[in-house]
Amino acid sequence: MNPFTPRVAAVVRREFILRVKSKWFLLSTLGLPVLIVGLGVLSAFLAVRGATDAGEERRLIGVADPAGLIGDLLIEEFLADSLDAVRAADMEAVSVDEARTRLAGSSYDLLLMIPRSEGRRSAEMPGATPDADEGEGDDERTTLLARASVPSVIESSVRGALQRASVRARLRSIGVQSIDPGALLQRTSFDVINVTESGEARSQDIYRALSFGIAFFFYFILLIYGQMIVRAILEEKQSDIVEIMVSSLRPWELMLGKIVGVGAVGIAQMAVWALVFALAAVYGLTAGASTLAEAGIDIASIPIPWGTLVLMFFFLVFGYLLYAGMFAGAGATISNEHDAQQVMLPITMLIILPFIATQGVIQSPNAGWGVILSLVPFFSPLVMPARLFATSVPVWQWLVSLVLLGVFVLGAAWVAGRIFRVGILMKGQRANLPQVLRWIRHG
Amino acid sequence: MIGAVNTPAIRLRGVTKRFDRKTAVRDLDLEIPHGSIYGLIGPNGAGKTTTLRIILDIIGPDAGSVDVFGSPNVEAMRTRIGYLPEERGMYQKMTAADHLAFFGQLKGLKRKDALARARSGLDAVGLGDRADDKVETFSKGMAQKAQFLGVILHEPDLLVLDEPFSGLDPLNVELFKQLLQERQRAGATILLSTHLIEDAERLCERVCMIAGATKVLDGRVRDIKAAAGRRDIALSFEGNPTFLDAPDLIEDISAHGTYVEVRMLEGADPQALLRRAVDSGALISRFELIEPSLRQIFIEKATEAGLSHEDESEDDEAAA
Repeated sequence: MNPFTPRVAAVVRREFILRVKSKWFLLSTLGLPVLIVGLGVLSAFLAVRGATDAGEERRLIGVADPAGLIGDLLIEEFLADSLDAVRAADMEAVSVDEARTRLAGSSYDLLLMIPRSEGRRSAEMPGATPDADEGEGDDERTTLLARASVPSVIESSVRGALQRASVRARLRSIGVQSIDPGALLQRTSFDVINVTESGEARSQDIYRALSFGIAFFFYFILLIYGQMIVRAILEEKQSDIVEIMVSSLRPWELMLGKIVGVGAVGIAQMAVWALVFALAAVYGLTAGASTLAEAGIDIASIPIPWGTLVLMFFFLVFGYLLYAGMFAGAGATISNEHDAQQVMLPITMLIILPFIATQGVIQSPNAGWGVILSLVPFFSPLVMPARLFATSVPVWQWLVSLVLLGVFVLGAAWVAGRIFRVGILMKGQRANLPQVLRWIRHG
Repeated sequence: MIGAVNTPAIRLRGVTKRFDRKTAVRDLDLEIPHGSIYGLIGPNGAGKTTTLRIILDIIGPDAGSVDVFGSPNVEAMRTRIGYLPEERGMYQKMTAADHLAFFGQLKGLKRKDALARARSGLDAVGLGDRADDKVETFSKGMAQKAQFLGVILHEPDLLVLDEPFSGLDPLNVELFKQLLQERQRAGATILLSTHLIEDAERLCERVCMIAGATKVLDGRVRDIKAAAGRRDIALSFEGNPTFLDAPDLIEDISAHGTYVEVRMLEGADPQALLRRAVDSGALISRFELIEPSLRQIFIEKATEAGLSHEDESEDDEAAA
């Protein structure tokens, strides 16, 4: 039997048109792209601001090096980095604890304390963490005391200076004078490229970022649209229309109409977003191609994985249907907004948990537990799409995952339908769990 | 049309429905003939709404059977039924025409046809110029009209109305009655429930009285009244009222300003009372045998059956 009877179609149509014409739809559909662009601009702006702030605000760094190990070298490095630094002779005889109490009365904004170390090891590398058996409290460690919070730019400057100075000290101790420590310390970057079974190359970092992005997006969609389902069902009850509805169609038809109608709104919204981003990509990327190329990103080299995208869409749709069924069942047990929050909470947790798990899975997408989670319904709608992007998933895995998910979708729909049938006519107090279980058993 | 004309439009056999430990409907038999206006009367909580919901297959009975138009498959009859529940809300954000068209579509009309009917229906009740306004902008009376239109838009063969007149403004009561009678002339069967027995008495040819989840009596209003007999006399006179002191004839007397109402004992002859009145020398200006009202009959029957007027069963609590 075709479940999409004309009357179900009428419910879908009503739900879709009313929601697409609403202010909410306009705002959220246009809002997301604006938000993303806005966040990008904002973070770029803040990064620039942060850098200039650090430059403008001069801070005096005192260097206390009682053993005279690398103090002078450090100051050279600081000055080379255009930071003000002086030897803090007045602090060299005191402990870290005492220096801490005296810092406020001193002229230093920051005080870098090099331990008075006896062992050659520490003398060579004052910045290194001493071994546990050598460690004897703060005085054995290099410490940076600061009066105000230290901007990350300055912190990394200090780290760099310390590193270079200690390398120079060590070079000097073995008689090498003329080597630029910068060259010694230069990081060698390398690319990680995953090679799929078909020999296709994928840049790991980009795909990890995309995995996270897709998991977050799915998480967001499932939450927002799940809540919309609850609201759509509450609307039936609160507008006293439900009894007219169920005299015209079966409760499950009403439920199906609501779920499909709200889902169609979601698809419409994503279609708009896809279009906006496609346009932005075409215009923006052609304009910014040179900048990206400088940053080492070659847009043209990123293949669009159409197969993966289609597969992910299935996971999104199945995931939506699974959660929508549960939200619909929950919505039928209540008749006011207040109770809505309470019945939604457990289902919301079932979305949040997989999302948290996803972040671990992205780091090691082929670990055993990641593979298992990507097969388990409730987890699979978020975890499997993330894995699909982060690694190459064997066919049997996504097939099993999708089939299991499909079974759960039908199961959830059946249970939700039983709850819905009785609950939708309920008014007033929220149904309690024993009641709901009785509905499921007896319909 | 499915089913011969002599098949009842609705037939209930031994229908029982319990919610938890409360029995909402007990062993109810009901036959509602084609083309009649049928009233389901009884106090609030008697089981009227539950009965209607069972007929409409919104809830299933625990026992018994329901046939609509001779078929036990009420689901297949839904497009031929129009239902106006007691709680008759509308989607506030939809325009009136769109809303009515939506109802029409649920009842199997094509959207275009439904929209055309919605507009002409709104025109007919004087809301033509508000067809494209949202329902939330409507006054209560306008919303009531729109709700009623939603039920008859698809020209149903069976109209089921739960307390159709409660909360209506007087003009709309008249409009509703008119529209109902129009539907009846077109051949539709109309079943309505009401706790206002006077409404049923004016509008319905047949009634079923229920109290305490149980049927008290049913049949033609005319027959019910005839069976109850004419035991009440309206009497106006001047002179000595001593002739009214007649415990062998009279059960009860109540004064009504210009006249007194006398209830005769069962089987007592009104003529005997008239003779005594004349003999006593009283000047009689009115001596009229009056029909008992449906309300009186109902209260009598309910008391006879040992059912209190106020009832223990709840029919607005649908869920178990």
